[in-house]
Amino acid sequence: MERANLEIIAPTVDEAIARGTTQLGVSREMVDVEILDEGAKGFLGFGSRQVRVKLTLKAVDTPAKTAPAPDPVSTPAPAPVQEPAPSASDPILDLAASFTRDLLEKMKVNAKVTASYAEKEEDGEIPVQVDIRGEDLSILIGRRAETLNALQYIIGLVVSKETTHWTQVIVDVEGYRARRERQLRQLARRMAEQALRTGKRQVLEPMSSAERRIIHLELRNSPDVETQSIGEEPNRKVTIILKK
Amino acid sequence: MKNLTEFIAKSLVDNPDQVDVKQTRQSNRVRLELSVSKEDMGRVIGKGGRVANAIRILLRVAAEREGLQVTLDVLEP
Repeated sequence: MERANLEIIAPTVDEAIARGTTQLGVSREMVDVEILDEGAKGFLGFGSRQVRVKLTLKAVDTPAKTAPAPDPVSTPAPAPVQEPAPSASDPILDLAASFTRDLLEKMKVNAKVTASYAEKEEDGEIPVQVDIRGEDLSILIGRRAETLNALQYIIGLVVSKETTHWTQVIVDVEGYRARRERQLRQLARRMAEQALRTGKRQVLEPMSSAERRIIHLELRNSPDVETQSIGEEPNRKVTIILKK
Repeated sequence: MKNLTEFIAKSLVDNPDQVDVKQTRQSNRVRLELSVSKEDMGRVIGKGGRVANAIRILLRVAAEREGLQVTLDVLEP
């Protein structure tokens, strides 16, 4: 199977593994972990380096399935073997999932909805992750993820109304956000190389704050370049400049 | 369309029983007028109209499937 391994850069090994397994959509037991760079603590945040790990999908025996594993992106899974265990009745997750189901039903969209807790963010918050899966759901993403962000906003408001504090809700359709994040990280590295090669400032396309954040984080520890957002919403964009 | 608007609005407000949606239609144009209690206006409009705009985007998805154009207005109480 292609794309069976993945390199992840994160502040800690645990986080890198968690992020990687989420991206691959597998559990921790299903991957081999190789630490490529243990990172460095640095002093007061200077000279610190993130860790780099490589995850390799273990060969799994898939009973009753002799055909080669299909490309996970292009094939809708009719009956996935690794169905996430139904949430053990957590009221917040239940609310997020049932509201999303009702909403999609009223939008006449046929899809499967699951809710889970995402990994802890740097600020200690644990976002709720709502995954929508099904066929032909590009209408739920829309141009520049406009529809996906509207869905996420409304679902976030409804969930936050029931919790006493603001709960961050991440809504994803067919793994779009994870895929987009991977693309953005690649783009960031490519543009950084280009800045280094040409010595010229690189200006990226306008992006949402969440997407700009991915670029900033990816290049945060670069010895060569630094990033800055310029312009006004909704045309704010990241620029990459050489460090002096 | 009316159902969808009602459902979203009722989920957002404090007084769901005061949510009302009127739907009118001229050929393929659907017009929705949403009214809520005075205290709930902010919840369905949002800062800079952000909530109302998000509702419009979701309505558009439903409308496009039926070949319709939809507008949503939030009425002053």
